[in-house]
Amino acid sequence: MTATENPESASPETNPGVPFTLNGVEFHANDGELLIDAAKRHGVHIPHFCYHPRMTPVGMCRMCLVEVDTGRGAGLQPSCMLPVTPNMKVNTESEPTTKAQDGVLELLLINHPLDCPVCDKGGECPLQDNAYAFGPGESRFVEEKRHYEKPIPISDLVYLDRERCILCDRCTRFASEVAGDPLIHFIGRGAQTEVNTFPEHEFSSYFSGNTVQICPVGALTAKPYRFAARPWDLSETESTSMVDSTGARVALHSSQDRLVRIQGVDSDATNWGWLSDKERFIYEATDSPERLTEPLVRDGSGDAVPTRWNNAVKQVVEALARPSDPRRIGVIGGARLTLESQYAWAKLLKGLGAVDNIDAQLGDGLPAELVLGLPKATIDSACQPGGVVVLLGPDLKEELPTLYLRLRHAIQFDGVSLVEISPRVTSFGDTVAARLNPLPGATGQIAKALADGMVGTSIGRSSAEELSAAHKLLISDRPVTVILGRGNLAESTDIIASAVASLRRANPNAKFLTALRRGNVHGALEMGLTPGYLPGAQPLSAAVDGWDMAPRSRGLDTAGILKSAVNGTLDTLVLLGADPLTDFPDSKLAAAAFERVGTVISVDTFMTASTGRADVVLPAAMFGEVDGTFLNLEGRISPVQAKVTSPGQTRADWMIAAEVAAAAGGDLGFTTLAELRSDIAANVPGFSDVHWDRTGHGADGPVITGIRSWEPTLTETAPIPPADDYGLRLVVDRKLWDNGTMTLAAASLKGQVGDAVMSVSPADLARLRIPSGNEASVAVGGGDARTVVVMSDPRVPVGAAHVPFHLNGVDASDFLVTGQPVIDIRIQAL
Amino acid sequence: MGYFEGFGVTLKQWGVGTTTKEYRGGRTNRQGEINPKDQKAPKPERVHGRHVLNRYEDGMEKCIGCELCAGVCPANCIYVRGKDNPVEDPKSPGERYGYVYEINYLRCIHCDLCVEACPTQAITETKLFEFSFTNRQDAIYTKDELLVGDDGKPQNLPWEDWRPGEDEHTSGWMRATSSSGKASFLGTTNWNGELGYGVRPSELPQDEKDASVTLAAAEHDHSDHDHSDHDHSDHGGH
Repeated sequence: MTATENPESASPETNPGVPFTLNGVEFHANDGELLIDAAKRHGVHIPHFCYHPRMTPVGMCRMCLVEVDTGRGAGLQPSCMLPVTPNMKVNTESEPTTKAQDGVLELLLINHPLDCPVCDKGGECPLQDNAYAFGPGESRFVEEKRHYEKPIPISDLVYLDRERCILCDRCTRFASEVAGDPLIHFIGRGAQTEVNTFPEHEFSSYFSGNTVQICPVGALTAKPYRFAARPWDLSETESTSMVDSTGARVALHSSQDRLVRIQGVDSDATNWGWLSDKERFIYEATDSPERLTEPLVRDGSGDAVPTRWNNAVKQVVEALARPSDPRRIGVIGGARLTLESQYAWAKLLKGLGAVDNIDAQLGDGLPAELVLGLPKATIDSACQPGGVVVLLGPDLKEELPTLYLRLRHAIQFDGVSLVEISPRVTSFGDTVAARLNPLPGATGQIAKALADGMVGTSIGRSSAEELSAAHKLLISDRPVTVILGRGNLAESTDIIASAVASLRRANPNAKFLTALRRGNVHGALEMGLTPGYLPGAQPLSAAVDGWDMAPRSRGLDTAGILKSAVNGTLDTLVLLGADPLTDFPDSKLAAAAFERVGTVISVDTFMTASTGRADVVLPAAMFGEVDGTFLNLEGRISPVQAKVTSPGQTRADWMIAAEVAAAAGGDLGFTTLAELRSDIAANVPGFSDVHWDRTGHGADGPVITGIRSWEPTLTETAPIPPADDYGLRLVVDRKLWDNGTMTLAAASLKGQVGDAVMSVSPADLARLRIPSGNEASVAVGGGDARTVVVMSDPRVPVGAAHVPFHLNGVDASDFLVTGQPVIDIRIQAL
Repeated sequence: MGYFEGFGVTLKQWGVGTTTKEYRGGRTNRQGEINPKDQKAPKPERVHGRHVLNRYEDGMEKCIGCELCAGVCPANCIYVRGKDNPVEDPKSPGERYGYVYEINYLRCIHCDLCVEACPTQAITETKLFEFSFTNRQDAIYTKDELLVGDDGKPQNLPWEDWRPGEDEHTSGWMRATSSSGKASFLGTTNWNGELGYGVRPSELPQDEKDASVTLAAAEHDHSDHDHSDHDHSDHGGH
């Protein structure tokens, strides 16, 4: 619900609203409020199937018919299509109403197979519930029911059983209205109407799982959950998704101590009940046979062998104590951890060890100054009616899908204007108000032109019309939010920072949302798992009261740590759930670093490529198995809760940190989660009055607005490398389904990862005389040429070449070189 | 005084011998002879004993793994998991079959609610009550043990005491009316066919039955009848 429909905001004193009579009692509805909502708010439940508060009402199912008298005599009207009008008299319990409900249910059940015992929805089915509560009890229909082939897969994740469908239009409405993937639709007429996909196009939407959750019958069921459990043996806990940094609220369902399902929870502030399929089905990873369940150490022959915790922790302490200087220790990762665990590790490393070579981002994020120091927007403030959103970053559908849905809704229904400054056309498509797709390297130049108002002539391929439209929106008095992300791994963050400086100069009131994709990365930065900062985004010079010491000088980021390893100046590398060998953009640098580094310690949940090279492996408990807190991209606190027991000897990350501290003869000062939280509350600015156990249903946690005693120092003077006429500027971005550790560990998601191809604009492809879909030779600078399939894609700007990161097929990291502002590639026909 | 009285109990038992004897299944004595006195006590007609999982006449399992029995079980003794039916070798008709089915007889109170809940008449109870175990593993009956054999009869497990003819009455006779509970179907069989037996005849309608028994028995049956009527009206909403 939007704020106007919130019961608290409509107290009768301030706004009497629309008076109406409901079952003989006088109530007040909000202006324009639908009868079904107003009745629900006053405690009267009107049965319905097709109505969904987050979608446009359609009045398909007729279940919500109630007797309404607007002064012209009582008649039956669908309450989901009817805004309350003054002095309307409504009766939801009258004889005509109940007769209508009886009739509608009898009609709906005529063709319903009633195979409830084998149906996944049986036990939590609105059709079942309404049939019991409002139905006639007997059917007069004795003829043969309609038959269809039992479940047909409409995608890799969703089954469709058309026999059970009651044609409520929820899934089809969701697909076209909410997700923008209109891949399922009604087919046929009359009794032969069915929902189905278009021929030869499966329902391959990133949001397909939502249709399963909102289906009021068992017509759409999820393959991963199919027959896994029945609703009555599920137990449920509300938590926060740690798949990406949106922090969608979820309900974890388990049976027999196994996670079997994740459902979206309707949170006003974040996900509105929607989830991406990655957030929904990622639970399968917790159960993966690939999980690390016992500590491993490398023995004399070089094999990783199971050992006891004591021994493994002892070796970790030795590896951390051996280097003479804390600058010879490097730590990568931490975005997988809960906020509490992040603080515990930060306290262990920075507060006891004075280590500052810590980076939770793997060279694919944004500078911590920007994330921590820019004035924050919230998702709600970005999506407020009439706002302007500048997308200086990636395709949100690929990186933060639930944020994409919120923004898409805001553009479609709330008049939000989007200015797209992305390296290529994003999934917002033609709904954008102004589209600028600067070539890599020119992002700062475009932003500067917008700030200066130099929009009379085209810049590069951005036309004067688009530029002046964007300029007008940027300097308008409408609320402006910049969604900032890393849209191109091949473009340096200096260029993004310079663009941010220009945008801030153009509109000093602009607020920012940092669209980093990796789980709890905002929590990690806030807790100091980034070079140069202590928890609460305090500079290293600030003293943390409860801490023994603090690092003396600013440490290295991930690229710096890896380079230091290559130079032989790094003795110990700690991986906190990070896999630099596959996740760091420049995999050649990462591989070289692992060749030279001394001891590698990995605290992880899965055996990844990097963990396979570790000398000590400590198995950690993961999402769904640990209690803690999540900090999303807005800085919103929300609880993460354990639902199942963690396997084997795995432990929560903060316990491992405390264990290591104790074995080293130190003391972190906490042995329970409550003590750890008090430590954070006492020592981290902004966290002093956080209600950690805020776990009410759909309750939105508070946004932590950290006290920043500093401003990010930004200059608009980033290098603008000239583009030559032969090369193409490389754009490397991420897809939702990539070969990430969690995706590969989830059995149903593994198959979603596609093959990478290089996409080039049709004009460039014609110029290169390469037919779309053919192989070509691609080289960076004087490097080795690789044979790559090249496709024509009009969404790629002329002069650029796009390849997604970390998919099957082309390895984009072959082309990525650390330290270059942009990367030019040469494509030649074979 | 009380001190010595205590010994009195001990002394009284001196030489009396043990009263706990080995259960020999009631069939043979130590010499291998059938002891005519060692018979099972007669049981009421509707006694609830060890369960069986029935199969259709074509050998398919009736269980569809819906877990309604497990859901209704007040003793939490049933564990069921469903699975997609293998297409090339279906275990039961339809999409789903029960691939795990376990009953823990250390917990089961033989209330028969699982039988009431079962939508496919897959689980029914025999009258067998003479089964005892020496370890927990034997007490947890698995699907392989519960499923009727190829002759449609319950499997005779080593620790169970089956007598000739006892394995006949394992299902259909138990309910006289249809599962919908409608009085107009009284006496009309509503049981689906069963491996080894086909479609079993239903029990006599209650009134015909009442007429053929004595007054005292009729009195007893009447209260039963009232109870079942009440039960049926509950289920009449289907």
